[in-house]
Amino acid sequence: MKSITTFLKRCISTGFRRWHSTGKLTSTSPEELAHFNALASSWWDVNGPQRILHKMNLLRMDFIYSTIREHLKLNPPDCPEEDKVYIPPYSVDLLPEPIKRQIVWEQDMRRDEILSQKKLKVLDVGCGGGILSESMARSSFVDDVMGIDLSSEVLQAAKIHQQKDPMLSENNGKLDYQLTAIEDLPKSETYDIITMFEMLEHVDYPSKVLTEGLQRLNVGGWLFLSTINRDFVSWFTTIFMGEHVLRIVPVGTHTLEKYINQQEIRDWISEDPQRLRSYEVVDTKGTVYLPAYGWKFTSNPNVGNYFMALRRVK
Amino acid sequence: MSHRDILVPDCNNCLKLTLHTHVGGKRKNRIHLQDRKITTVRKIIAVRIIWCQLIPSMIPSPILNTLKRDVVIIGGGPAGLLLLAALKTSPYLRHLLCTLIEGGSLALAKQFGVDPPKEYTNRIISLTPATASYMDLGMGCWNHLHHDRLKRYNHIIAYDDDGKIGFDMDAYMVEVINVQLALLKRLAELENGFENVWDQCKVTEIEKNGGSGSDWPIVKLSNGKSVEARLLVGCDGFNSPVRHFARIQSRGWPYDRFGVVATIKVSKPTQVAYQKFLPTGPLAILPLEGDDATIVWSLTPELSETLCAAPSEVFPHLVNAAMKLDSHELPYIYEMVKNNDNVDNVIDEIQWRLNKASVFDKYYDNTVTKVFDKSRARFPLKMSHADTYVAPRIALVGDAAHTIHPLAGQGLNLGQADVQLLVGALEKASTRGLDIGSTLALEPYVSERWPANHVMLGVCDKFHKVFGVNWGPFNAMRGFGMNTLDSLGLAKNLIVNQV
Ligand SMILES: Cc1cc2nc3c(=O)[nH]c(=O)nc-3n(C[C@H](O)[C@H](O)[C@H](O)COP(=O)(O)OP(=O)(O)OC[C@H]3O[C@@H](n4cnc5c(N)ncnc54)[C@H](O)[C@@H]3O)c2cc1C
Ligand SMILES: C[S@@+](CC[C@H](N)C(=O)[O-])C[C@H]1O[C@@H](n2cnc3c(N)ncnc32)[C@H](O)[C@@H]1O
Repeated sequence: MKSITTFLKRCISTGFRRWHSTGKLTSTSPEELAHFNALASSWWDVNGPQRILHKMNLLRMDFIYSTIREHLKLNPPDCPEEDKVYIPPYSVDLLPEPIKRQIVWEQDMRRDEILSQKKLKVLDVGCGGGILSESMARSSFVDDVMGIDLSSEVLQAAKIHQQKDPMLSENNGKLDYQLTAIEDLPKSETYDIITMFEMLEHVDYPSKVLTEGLQRLNVGGWLFLSTINRDFVSWFTTIFMGEHVLRIVPVGTHTLEKYINQQEIRDWISEDPQRLRSYEVVDTKGTVYLPAYGWKFTSNPNVGNYFMALRRVK
Repeated sequence: MSHRDILVPDCNNCLKLTLHTHVGGKRKNRIHLQDRKITTVRKIIAVRIIWCQLIPSMIPSPILNTLKRDVVIIGGGPAGLLLLAALKTSPYLRHLLCTLIEGGSLALAKQFGVDPPKEYTNRIISLTPATASYMDLGMGCWNHLHHDRLKRYNHIIAYDDDGKIGFDMDAYMVEVINVQLALLKRLAELENGFENVWDQCKVTEIEKNGGSGSDWPIVKLSNGKSVEARLLVGCDGFNSPVRHFARIQSRGWPYDRFGVVATIKVSKPTQVAYQKFLPTGPLAILPLEGDDATIVWSLTPELSETLCAAPSEVFPHLVNAAMKLDSHELPYIYEMVKNNDNVDNVIDEIQWRLNKASVFDKYYDNTVTKVFDKSRARFPLKMSHADTYVAPRIALVGDAAHTIHPLAGQGLNLGQADVQLLVGALEKASTRGLDIGSTLALEPYVSERWPANHVMLGVCDKFHKVFGVNWGPFNAMRGFGMNTLDSLGLAKNLIVNQV
């Protein structure tokens, strides 16, 4: 037990230092890359080593979809008075049930309508084999997806898999992959959605990667990420149980010292007045993997895995 | 040459384009579609041709006849048509390219709307309120039913030699062909609903995709065409070719019983359904419009043959005898029928026995007066349940997934619930951007639906065993009267309340 505690202490202190340090941009260590290269061939086997990512993808697509949907402007400024949907100035829960249902239904219809007209541009950073990139490319509100990664093997797996679905391979090139670091993409290329799922814990300088991402957001655009809090629960569930006992994730996938607490991201945003003015952490949700069930949201975003939605407000 | 040229459908132009793009050294053949609706098929053909030119060893044989579809539904029975209408109604799924393939002809169903045959067709099923409400509010096809041929009943009386129970149960009796008609009419209203129903077209073979690229199954049809399916749904009945292709085991309990169905006339119209439990199994009389009614009668194989072949003057009396006499009196009568005894003798014998026995009149207080002769049919009864309903790019729905004892009148209602949950799973999958043919998309369907169906199948199976098998302990239990049925209250509630 003692050794675990010292191990944890060491990890936490080095992790914290790393989060604030500066240096080379969004690099990833050769060991990390070798690890993902080795996983490339089985990436799309939904019952294989990446099953847990495939299952997580269900929940994160729900997260992305519902976050975007909830924050749509239902009555845009140029909307004529008679076309406006009613938005009560107080909670709809206070209204009688049938009226509430009618209002909610109308708002839902309007959301579907607005969403179906969107043509969003997406950048999936650390796309791996393209689990999320493909899902985004199939979404009706998305027009263009670029997946980037530093591992050529996983990108190869992504491209091969893309060819299997005519909707992705023949659809005017809606989905593209590129072997590049985010900072090497032109700054002039901006996006409506940037995703960094399960990748910040693998990079050496996560704040750099985040900065590069936030800078490429259109106003009103979203950055969605998922990673892991650096705490005992995380170590216990992801490394000890996940890798060594249950073997649901390949050994070597995680390094505790690279985990980032969700509060650290919030603090990092507030730290800088310029950042604070432009970006907002809209939502953070804790998530947990239950072997027989899959992923579900928890009530505490400070423990274990979490999803986060940031938005460029200005 | 511009990209647009690829829209020209004939083969030569496509080949020209191929050569052109090849010579031009372009690696990616991007095709810009001007009009999605009409050109997708051509686009696919064109892409295949291009691809084949580049990799000649991979030419699939009937290139020009292979189409790609998001959903291919095999079977134009109620389950298949319901599924297609549900897909085309869903705001999240209506954009999918779907094709339904039916081996038989749907012309009769269409004709039924204009000019239904005077006599009832012999596949008559019951619909629960849940199914009715789904067809109405969920699908908007309830109004398209031929309402003169739709009967609502609200009470069931079930009894045997020793006792009876009655319970309220709302349901509709309707011909399968009427349901098909309503769905076909609904499909005609929906965009791209109707054109893609191909009837008189049989599935001759289903193949795995040999190419290294796609894993979509290829369905070969009797009209020479082939269709590749992102998701292949078997709504193809109890002997499902799709289930066989997917190598999904279906475990069954054959009952050594046959069901005999017939349309009859009774002396007075009623809103009540009757079910009598006989040693061979249940005999149900379900009301239709006016003084019409339909029966489902579970019998041993031998008896079913005898009774199906019995003269049509005798048959109504046989039904009355079975409904009203003590069951131990029946074998003697059946023996007479089997020995081709004189028709009048048989009728007299039955009449004589009915006159002295009045006790069952209080259970079945009606009289069968006539059978529509062409309506009599027999079929083997069995219960079966597939081990799973999904495999990569495969889903099973309706009788393809499960067949149930007709006793509970649940066959189609289970199929309706399957459709509702499958569509729910596909809607969810589509907002999650999943490939709707992947097991990730389909798993929620089987995990919700399979256990519910299994309970229902098990309950009906127990009913059959308790009331339909001539086996000592069960008979002894039945000796305690219909209390056994009441003690199966749980089972009753399940049947009444589920779906
Ligand atoms: C006598 C009887 C009484 C019943 N009573 C009731 C009742 O009271 N209540 C109730 O709810 N249910 C009842 N059922 C069950 C009910 O009829 C079925 O559950 C229902 O029809 C199932 O619908 P389905 O669409 O799944 O299958 P089906 O109706 O069997 O349809 C399958 C379709 O697939 C087509 N097909 C099969 N193979 C191929 C192929 N290779 N190529 C192309 N097409 C193919 C067939 O032509 C058919 O049209 C009864 C069944 C029977 C037989
Ligand atoms: C656990 S995988 C997650 C893949 C994908 N985002 C998903 O969740 O499905 C992490 C991926 O991030 C990639 N990666 C690590 N560091 C990166 C960096 N600095 N820039 C881009 N990709 C990186 C790895 O190669 C690997 O494919």
